[in-house]
Amino acid sequence: MTEVLFYVFSAVLLFAGLMVITAKNPVHAALYLVLSFFTGAMLWMLMQAEFLAVSLVVVYVGAVMVLFLFVVMMLDINFEELRKGFWKFVPLATVVAAIMAVEMVLILTHPAAQLKGVTLMERAPEYNNVRDLGVQIYTTYFLPFQLAAFVLLVGMIAAIALTLRKRKNTKFQKPGEQVKVKRNDRLRIVKVDSEPKPTFEAPKPAAEGQGEGAKGE
Amino acid sequence: MDMKTIYLLIPLAPLFGALVAGLFGWAIGRRAAHCVTIGGVAVSFALSAYVLNHMLSGGEAYNGTVYTWLSINGVDFNVGFLVDTLTAMMMCVVTFVSLMVHIYTIGYMHEDPGYQRFFSYISLFTFSMLMLVMANNFVQLFFGWEAVGLVSYLLIGFWFKRPTATFANLKAFLVNRVGDFGFLLGIGLVLAYFGSLDYAEVFAKAPELKDTTITLMTGHTWSLMAVTCILLFVGAMGKSAQFPLHVWLPDSMEGPTPISALIHAATMVTAGIFMVARMSPMFELSETALNFVLVIGAITALFMGFLGIIQNDIKRVVAYSTLSQLGYMTVALGASAYSVAVFHLMTHAFFKALLFLAAGSVIMGMHHDQDIRNMGGLRKYMKITWITSLIGSLALIGTPFLSGFYSKDSIILAVEASTLPGAGFAQFAVLAGVFVTAFYSFRMYFLVFHGKERWMEQGHHHAHDADAHDEDEHHHGLGPNDKPHESPWVVTLPLVLLAIPSLVIGYLAIGPMLAGDFFKNVIFVNHDLHPAMEAVIHHAHDAFHMGLHAFATLPFWLAAAGVAAAFVFYMVKPALPAAIDRVFSKIGVRKLLEQKYYMDHLYINGFAAAGRGLGTVLWKVGDAILIDGLLVNGSAKVVGFVASIVRRLQTGYIYHYAFAMIIGGLVFITVWLGVILGWFGPEAREWIGNLLYSRA
Amino acid sequence: MTWTSLNAGIALPEIFLLCATCALLLIDLFVSDARRGVTHALALVTLAITGVLLWCGYSPAPELAFSAMFVADPIATLAKGGMVLGVALVLIYGRSYAADRGIYKGELYSLTLFSLSGMMVMASAVNLLTLYVGLELLSLSLYALVALQRDSVNATESAMKYFVLGALASGMLLYGMSMIYGATGSLNVYEIGHRLLVGEGNRLLAVFGLVFIVTGIAFKLGAVPFHMWVPDVYHGAPTVITQLIGSAPKLAAFAFIIRLLAQALEGFAPDWRGMLIVLAVLSLAIGNLSAIAQSNIKRMFAYSTISHMGFLLLGILVANPVGYSASFFYAFTYVLTAAAGFGLVMLLARNGFEADQLDDYKGLARKHPWFGFMMLMVMFSMAGIPVFVGFFAKLAVLKAVVNLGMVWLAVFAVMMSLIGAFYYLRVVKLMYFDEPVNDITLSGGLGAKIVLSLNCLALLVMGLFPNYLLSMLNDAVVFSLPL
Repeated sequence: MTEVLFYVFSAVLLFAGLMVITAKNPVHAALYLVLSFFTGAMLWMLMQAEFLAVSLVVVYVGAVMVLFLFVVMMLDINFEELRKGFWKFVPLATVVAAIMAVEMVLILTHPAAQLKGVTLMERAPEYNNVRDLGVQIYTTYFLPFQLAAFVLLVGMIAAIALTLRKRKNTKFQKPGEQVKVKRNDRLRIVKVDSEPKPTFEAPKPAAEGQGEGAKGE
Repeated sequence: MDMKTIYLLIPLAPLFGALVAGLFGWAIGRRAAHCVTIGGVAVSFALSAYVLNHMLSGGEAYNGTVYTWLSINGVDFNVGFLVDTLTAMMMCVVTFVSLMVHIYTIGYMHEDPGYQRFFSYISLFTFSMLMLVMANNFVQLFFGWEAVGLVSYLLIGFWFKRPTATFANLKAFLVNRVGDFGFLLGIGLVLAYFGSLDYAEVFAKAPELKDTTITLMTGHTWSLMAVTCILLFVGAMGKSAQFPLHVWLPDSMEGPTPISALIHAATMVTAGIFMVARMSPMFELSETALNFVLVIGAITALFMGFLGIIQNDIKRVVAYSTLSQLGYMTVALGASAYSVAVFHLMTHAFFKALLFLAAGSVIMGMHHDQDIRNMGGLRKYMKITWITSLIGSLALIGTPFLSGFYSKDSIILAVEASTLPGAGFAQFAVLAGVFVTAFYSFRMYFLVFHGKERWMEQGHHHAHDADAHDEDEHHHGLGPNDKPHESPWVVTLPLVLLAIPSLVIGYLAIGPMLAGDFFKNVIFVNHDLHPAMEAVIHHAHDAFHMGLHAFATLPFWLAAAGVAAAFVFYMVKPALPAAIDRVFSKIGVRKLLEQKYYMDHLYINGFAAAGRGLGTVLWKVGDAILIDGLLVNGSAKVVGFVASIVRRLQTGYIYHYAFAMIIGGLVFITVWLGVILGWFGPEAREWIGNLLYSRA
Repeated sequence: MTWTSLNAGIALPEIFLLCATCALLLIDLFVSDARRGVTHALALVTLAITGVLLWCGYSPAPELAFSAMFVADPIATLAKGGMVLGVALVLIYGRSYAADRGIYKGELYSLTLFSLSGMMVMASAVNLLTLYVGLELLSLSLYALVALQRDSVNATESAMKYFVLGALASGMLLYGMSMIYGATGSLNVYEIGHRLLVGEGNRLLAVFGLVFIVTGIAFKLGAVPFHMWVPDVYHGAPTVITQLIGSAPKLAAFAFIIRLLAQALEGFAPDWRGMLIVLAVLSLAIGNLSAIAQSNIKRMFAYSTISHMGFLLLGILVANPVGYSASFFYAFTYVLTAAAGFGLVMLLARNGFEADQLDDYKGLARKHPWFGFMMLMVMFSMAGIPVFVGFFAKLAVLKAVVNLGMVWLAVFAVMMSLIGAFYYLRVVKLMYFDEPVNDITLSGGLGAKIVLSLNCLALLVMGLFPNYLLSMLNDAVVFSLPL
């Protein structure tokens, strides 16, 4: 039974993967990606890795891909333009991919590769692989786990550094400054001679209005 | 401070001075530049004196490696020091004379814009010379050898705007190249047959290889030792200006006078003598080489002296005298009297540096006029220069009890006792040389310091108008109403300090250096075969009696005759030289001497012209057709071709790049796994294996 | 399992660096643009302390930590020392350059320090997973840094290329690692090496994985044919980032190769030797021949890097400690040489002027004899002219190759460096014999100039005394390899 399911899911996964890169409509491509994640999660489920399967669905299908879909739909990107020339390379790419696939099949099916099916370990009913995973992550795999966190941090810093822009002309209020304002900041009394002078200089406007967002905040 | 640190400090102190003055001279100014270089050399001298004292009081010789620069197939290229009595003495001489010259330079180069550069060079020279004498292996010796040559080149051409100076430094460089070629071949032979470049190992192995022969051309075998020693000596001939590679030294007088004193009289040119003395364990094994050395030295000693007689440039007179004296040293080497050669090297360093510096002082007094025919009567105006010059000249001609006497007479004694085939000629040469030396020395002395004050005569000609002076900086020559004046104290102080050893060093040092065991275990002499030293030791025991005895020997009277002849010719009957001149002109001797035995002609029109001719042919055929046409343009085409392909591949499109990566990976998979799985048959496996998986 | 059994103390330099970087990230928020010097100074202090911690933690015997995920052995410690130095030079040389180009920001510092952490992890990791995470930490930081000058079209385009191709290479590497895991059943480098040596594990799958691992490594090094990103990224990135990419990560890559090829896949040395020969030969040829055709000095350096990486591979493919230490020496000295080269480019660059055309160097020696001379030393060292350290690096590698019996390979490498000497000497010729076309002014503070001069002089000094470093690195390799 599981064997049949495995082949079904695998076939769907391969098909979905192929469609991700060949679909003309970006929304379709994203939806195929969702499908491939989903079938991937199903494969994990067959291997009794329920926690991983569920988190894959929750994190990727539920959050990341939905966000991605929004982005794709909201930004008016002409994907057709980006994919120009794609079909020109398909024949060559197909040949190379075919050679690679054939070679991999030859290698992996070679007797020396000794690939054979394995039966999954029998677990007691009260076995909890979430707990096991947690223990492993915080003991044996402590270092890579922590480092992975830093990788994410770097990703975050990078995303912010590369995309956060402050508009130069944004005006916003600073209530603190407004409250502290004194009369002299606003108004200057200038004595003006009654007779006009040959070269008249207009008094400079009083203190600039509040606003100019302070930089670096 | 342990001795190794001291040995390191001795060469590094001048190097430091040279670097500071050379790199930062523009920033720190003149005063700081001379302070730092003089300080460096002074430290070096003080430590050298300490080392000499250490050696004299029974200190152990030091032989050790400081740093291994690189190691190729078991042959190490080391920086190492061998400090024994010979080295210690050389270090003292080098640093002392260098210190004197440094101080002197403050006065002499006072007006020169290249002041800091000059100090940097002479300090760099001191460093190089110290590295040379302190070396314990051939590589470092060669390094020092080339480094002093380089600095000498730079200093001869110090006034690089004068065409004569650049010609002279090029000449010095090229002639030295000939010598160095031999030297390098010699070192190569040492490496090939002794398997080491370390002195101690080579010397230890030398006796074993005494009878080894080598075949350089089919059918002719030579003694290895003779060939090696002669090749090494060819290097010495270049550096120490021995006939026929002497031609560069007189021209080197284009350099400023302080370096003529330091490099081209006292130290660098004696490097060859030092080297042969250092290699005594090898030279002792080859009769042929010693004979060669002896004859070359004798030729140089006599014939270069003759040329000194007809020179009118004060520096050139001293330069030919240097050549002749170097010939004496070489004769001593040839006679297996290495210690005598080194002894003469030392005394000569003092009095010849003195003579040069005094000549420089005279030149300053004469406002950069170097022609002795325009001088005369200077003793009234330049008292210290006059007295010290007199001391130097007397020492040079071998006046009993002065330093030159002891060393020169020891050489004559050694040659008398030598049993080599060339000894007869050498003996004649050195004896005749005594007369010649005395004659030209006092010719110069009388012309410069006595007689009429000839610069007063209107219309005196400037023999070197065009070349000898920096046109824009020095006005040269005195006007009829000018008076020469004594030089400042920085100039006269070194003269006085050098005059003292010129007077007494011979008397003091002859006992220990020649008769004592100062050079025990440093210089090796086979006394059975080469008895020359025995004769010298016999006399050298008692310096006082040697001096008294001199009055009854031929050399003294020859020298006296030379002085007397000079007195008659140039003081009593000034018309006489002209008359003799006419006679000699008729038989062509005059011309021969004026053309310096036509050596320059031979080199410039013979070898150099032939070389240029050959070069032209090679250039036209080899360079223009083969290299330019085939290699350069050909390789440029290859480069252009490859670059055009790469440029075509480097499109800037990500998918092209990614495609290249995938193809690369695919090729790897196909080849490696294909070979393992036998996709291409069993031969492919073997073929690839042979090509790539070489034996590990 | 307890905290002490993690043995985290031996990773103190990395832990300190990561913590300090996070602190720096926060502190920088409160630093105004005008006072960015505070961040700069703190970053340098962080590097200095990291260096001191490395120095104090040096031990000749390898020590494991974090459940055998992490090792502190002499190779790792020395390589990390070189990386810290290399990164410090980047920050010192790049300061005024970055300020002129609007990337003098806190992110420059935090990302640079994170990339250093990644390199250090790569050097010390002895577990495939940790190795990979370290590599990603480095790569991700570098991608972002290349794009940091976000208004520059060149920079963003090259960042994009770097990112996409890097992701592809990471994918290949990861695939290879998974094959190795499948073949041997272990992620631990020592364990894999042991199992493969005693003949356990599946050899076919291991070679299959090996191919992908070599591919991934070749990409990181920039070896032909996985080099295409190098010229574009070197050219497009701001020079300060080019210096970062071109210097310290080469040491990380070296350590990475040692872990993967020399330790984990030691048993397959004959297989990967063949692959490395192909990579090295192609890199030497393509790198040197293409560099000649460049008119942009950054692109020229890029191709020159490719050829240098060919040399680095030559040492590794010897597959014995002599070869490894020769390569180590090569990588170490290359870091300093490249840093000096890019430092000089940045010294000449100023606001609105990149100084990246070869013609910009015409007459440099006349205008600024000192820095002309410095550039000359860098070029001579890169060309491998004796007395400079580059010569000894090449010599060491070639000696190892010749000892292996592959004379043809050594001869080929020499021929190619001979061709390479042409473009290095061309720069010297431009500096010394040509008339200046631009007015050349130097930017950068006195401190940067002094450090730069010392950096260049170090190339000479290390050439005069190559043995100290060479024997130190040799000992490091000998002490580190067996466990």
